[in-house]
Amino acid sequence: MVDEALAAAHPGARQRERMTLATIPGLPPVLACLALFLAWDLTARAVAIDSLPSPWSALKEVPAILGDGEAIGNIFASLRRMAIGLILAIVCAIPIGLMMGRSRAVAAFCNPLMMVIYPVPKAALMPIIMLWLGVGEAAKILVIFLGVSLPVIYHSYQGGRAVEEKMLWSAAAMGMTARARLFRIALPAALPEIMVGVRTGLVLALITMVTSEMIARQNGVGNILFNSLDMAQYQTVYGMIIVIGVLGFVLDAAFQMLRGVLVAWAEPAQPIIVGST
Amino acid sequence: MSGFGIGALKSYPCVEDQDLPDQDLPAGIIEIERLSKVFDTAHRDRHLALSDISVTVADGQFVSIVGPSGCGKSTLLYVVGGFVQPTSGRVQVMGKPVLGPGPDRGPVFQEFALFPWKTVLGNVSYGLIEQGMARREAEARARALIELVHLKGYEHFYPKELSGGMKQRVAIARTLAYGPSILLMDEPFGALDAHTRTRLQNELLEIWERDRKTVMFVTHSVDEAVFLSDRVFVMTRSPGRIKSIVDITLPRPRRRAELLVDRRYQDYVVGIERQMDDPPEAGGT
Repeated sequence: MVDEALAAAHPGARQRERMTLATIPGLPPVLACLALFLAWDLTARAVAIDSLPSPWSALKEVPAILGDGEAIGNIFASLRRMAIGLILAIVCAIPIGLMMGRSRAVAAFCNPLMMVIYPVPKAALMPIIMLWLGVGEAAKILVIFLGVSLPVIYHSYQGGRAVEEKMLWSAAAMGMTARARLFRIALPAALPEIMVGVRTGLVLALITMVTSEMIARQNGVGNILFNSLDMAQYQTVYGMIIVIGVLGFVLDAAFQMLRGVLVAWAEPAQPIIVGST
Repeated sequence: MSGFGIGALKSYPCVEDQDLPDQDLPAGIIEIERLSKVFDTAHRDRHLALSDISVTVADGQFVSIVGPSGCGKSTLLYVVGGFVQPTSGRVQVMGKPVLGPGPDRGPVFQEFALFPWKTVLGNVSYGLIEQGMARREAEARARALIELVHLKGYEHFYPKELSGGMKQRVAIARTLAYGPSILLMDEPFGALDAHTRTRLQNELLEIWERDRKTVMFVTHSVDEAVFLSDRVFVMTRSPGRIKSIVDITLPRPRRRAELLVDRRYQDYVVGIERQMDDPPEAGGT
């Protein structure tokens, strides 16, 4: 029985012994970055225009950006509104998606709405939202909120739908009410799938954040990016793009760590694919 | 004022209990009367899954339901569990109509249906904590049950780290934990290999011999049904009906090795297989 359990616990134990270049932690992403910079450098040399500086001059701008108090303030302003939009969206979207997944009536009502709203680029709504809410914080948070909500709703819906009925029956036999089953059984059971949606949502939050800031320019990374562009400070533009890229990478890595802790119990079933919407 | 109160109280004992026909109730802990279940299928024709079923299960009896796949035997179990509503007819458990699931009827499913985010200990103590028991006490009881199903040492394992047989042991312990008077077992050993299956059959009988809870056990394996049960309901396919009821009078405690060479056991198995829709050579497992 012990052997049985060990075999079940470590299905990948045997593969893990093989060590290649690709299995050294941290190496593949570094190699990928180097390859990207190399391609960029070659292209920049070939076209030789002002608006495409070499990656090395762009990289040199990064410490300058990070050393500038005003730029740091902008970055934190961006992260703050992104976090608010993200958290609000997660809090609202998960219950909606779960209820859609567990109730055919709710799904029949919400699904068409979702399918209409999902493909609309949320940043395209920015001008209208600015008419309602002005150019301030609220408009940007709302756009981020909309951008994040849909993938989270969608994956919560799929996750909720896939919850094994017998698991809910087992809970019902213990005397759990429908509400308790939704939040204490369906929610954790669907969590691995919900996490896929939240990861997509995180990337989308970053994208809509930058886009909203470039439309309603006040502060934030999108603002720096496009002000520099207006002033033809191309090194700063590309330096900022690198900062945003690294920001996305770090946020995603942090999220993956969180996800590893929250759903460590899950069977390794769902490979995570980041949506492109 | 006080005299009025006493007078009002006194009027109660006269009507109490007298009208309730306790004696008329059969000894059945589960009574199923004229039960039918119709499913609406995708192509709009209606599928009669259960047709006019009337059976009674006595308290403390181990009853198996056998039949070919698609005969509605699991559906019958789900109706008793309150998970599926019947189209017509009625089901009573301990004299009360079944309105929904409840802790008096504990299910065990072929799919285990464990909570994967909970450890073995978390799964087994879940029902007790849900019923308001303090965590410490619930976990102490859960530990005893985990030992009963031979999983001592695995308290902090997650379901994904367990084999199928071990998962089903956890599921059985989880259901026993909250003390249902009836166990509803839906092909609980159907997903296990032959060796594990035999072991779990023996373990289940050992556990059952301790307190003789009422068990409704659905299986497609005739020899499993004969080995475990006091009584076997044989069902036929489309529409699902009870074809016959066979009382298994083999002595207990039962030992598999002795039964396999016992003529009476063999006769039960062959007799029931003949009654099933499937040809006998395809029915036995």
